[in-house]
Amino acid sequence: MEIVHILFLAFAALAVVAAFNVILQRNPIYSAIGLIVVLCSLAVLFLTLYAPFIAAMQVIVYAGAIMVLFVFVIMLLNIREEESKTDRQKYLKFLAAPLFLALLGMIAAVVKTVGNPAPRGTDQLGSVQTLAEGMFTKYVLPFEATSVLILMAIVGSMLLARREKAEDVERIEQALAASQEGAEATEKEEVAA
Amino acid sequence: MQIENLNLNYGAVAPEIIAAVTGVISMLVDALSPKGARKTNAVISLVGLVLALLAVVRLEPSGSYFGGMVTTDPVRVFFSVIILLVAIIAVLLAGQFLRDEGLPPGEFFTLIMFATTGMLLLASAGDLVTVFLGLEIASITTYVMAGYRRYDVRANESSLKYFLLGSFSTAFMLYGMALTYGATGNTNIAAIRAIIGEGRVEHPALLLIGAAMMLVGFGFKIASAPFHLWTPDVYEGAPTIVTGFMGTGPKAAVFAAFLRVFADGFNVTASPIGAQLQSTWISAVAVIAVLTMTIGNVIAISQKNIKRMLAYSSIAHAGYALVGFVTGDFAPVAFYMLAYSIMSLGAFAVIQLLARAGDQKTEIADYAGIGFETPALSFSLAIFLLSLGGIPPTAGFMSKFFVFKTTWDAAPHYRWLVIAAVVNSIISIYYYLYPIVVMFFRPLAPGFIKPRIATMTTVALILTLVGTFYLGLLPNRLMNALGQGQKAVAIQPRLGDR
Repeated sequence: MEIVHILFLAFAALAVVAAFNVILQRNPIYSAIGLIVVLCSLAVLFLTLYAPFIAAMQVIVYAGAIMVLFVFVIMLLNIREEESKTDRQKYLKFLAAPLFLALLGMIAAVVKTVGNPAPRGTDQLGSVQTLAEGMFTKYVLPFEATSVLILMAIVGSMLLARREKAEDVERIEQALAASQEGAEATEKEEVAA
Repeated sequence: MQIENLNLNYGAVAPEIIAAVTGVISMLVDALSPKGARKTNAVISLVGLVLALLAVVRLEPSGSYFGGMVTTDPVRVFFSVIILLVAIIAVLLAGQFLRDEGLPPGEFFTLIMFATTGMLLLASAGDLVTVFLGLEIASITTYVMAGYRRYDVRANESSLKYFLLGSFSTAFMLYGMALTYGATGNTNIAAIRAIIGEGRVEHPALLLIGAAMMLVGFGFKIASAPFHLWTPDVYEGAPTIVTGFMGTGPKAAVFAAFLRVFADGFNVTASPIGAQLQSTWISAVAVIAVLTMTIGNVIAISQKNIKRMLAYSSIAHAGYALVGFVTGDFAPVAFYMLAYSIMSLGAFAVIQLLARAGDQKTEIADYAGIGFETPALSFSLAIFLLSLGGIPPTAGFMSKFFVFKTTWDAAPHYRWLVIAAVVNSIISIYYYLYPIVVMFFRPLAPGFIKPRIATMTTVALILTLVGTFYLGLLPNRLMNALGQGQKAVAIQPRLGDR
């Protein structure tokens, strides 16, 4: 076994363990740190798959910029440990856990049949030039569509997270009151009748 | 990489471009007008949608563009028309919704337009990459639309639940695509079809599990059992018009991609692996169809809330449409989705009006005795419900008939599926009749006021009513057009000509 394979397997395992850590931690800061470990391990996976540029982007953009923002937001908001609540569909986890394990087992069995194929690409595959060529030739339409996707994500998160303007609140209250008043008026009429 | 082979034909993506540009324009108009631009944006969106509809009609009948990322075939054209009709009706209804509830008006139209862009892309996707992007654009916009009424805890719950579970299902879809790519070395659906047909699949087990994962992803997005658990909560909590929109448009678009990936890409029997894959997914879809119909209909019977009831009914309808999948032909599914979209949107439009601002009255008991108080609304609702139940002479009957008949003729092995579906539609009539009985034969509930109906809402209601009867009474032209696109052949079919 080459050193590249050992690296790949080690970091793949680390990524999975860290991903579990992200969802199992109660403290959001620990979850965020777990996510940083996942993203860095993925960067190593990209490196072993001949994609140095994507690996660098992964570290700079995701592990660097985005995760720093995550951690800042968590610290500024001062989110405490999540309180555990009783779940209405508690019994479902007894169904979900075995099914999940079965799925994992199945994937593991399938992956085992595949064995250890040689990587298809050459060391040029993940270079900036190949990426740029792909992005502006074959993948030009998906590239443009991604901009719509990101624009939509920005508009959506702004819409759901912005502070409600005073005039907006007033207008919504008026609208709701108007429909309530109508209902009460008819009730009064009925009582009078 | 040769650029000349990519076939960069901008006319082929004109509908998508028009929808996206209209979305951007409506966003800018809203930002630049101080008091919000509800009416202007409604008009802009309508113009954009009609232009996109014209662009769809003027598409070349078949072709593959942008290096195979976009493909034009009868599936794309029919489903694009369905999507644009849904969007037009949603825009017509949105004006009154936003005014009655005092919600900020501008972004709603932007969201509808971008959702339409995503859905159109999904319907035209010739490559797994575009399938994924279209799906994500359509999903993210609907997550936001579900939470548009921000003060409402139910809407927040609906939006968050939809977002979390939707992302989870997207992960399944993406993993399935990755495994399929690993097995075939290609993401283009036509190329995958060719590779499977020639038996050049390197790791057959990878292909099977990849297809299974994608089936889970699609199954979630069309709300089929056992991936339906999110549907009732999300449909109940979202504003009614949004429920109508996301229960029809995105669902139809996902059906288009589902058809193209499975009924086209994974539908070759020329090689052993192809035959194995095909028989596996068809029997899986048959089981899912029966489960979906039965669970949807049985649970709908016990619902007290009309939106929850229609959510379960929408699950059941996804099951009926899935029956058409075993023919491997797109025509019955396309006709079914068109009929379902029109009548379902109509029903939600009426409920939007009856429920009043903030969705205060959505229990079926709230509608007691309103039958002759607002005859226009209650008779429309009755017609839509009867149509959903499949009573002639409505669209619901004709679409069910078309799906069941085609399946009966084309797939003799799956006649049991048709029988299950017919039994299910008989069960469903019970819960569709219940609100009608309550509306017309119970004493009037206290506190009822006649809803005001805006002009645009009237237009939308008339459109859906006319559509319901047109498809029920004169379906011949459309069916012939669908038949020309594709002859139904037993279990050895193709979509379009490539």
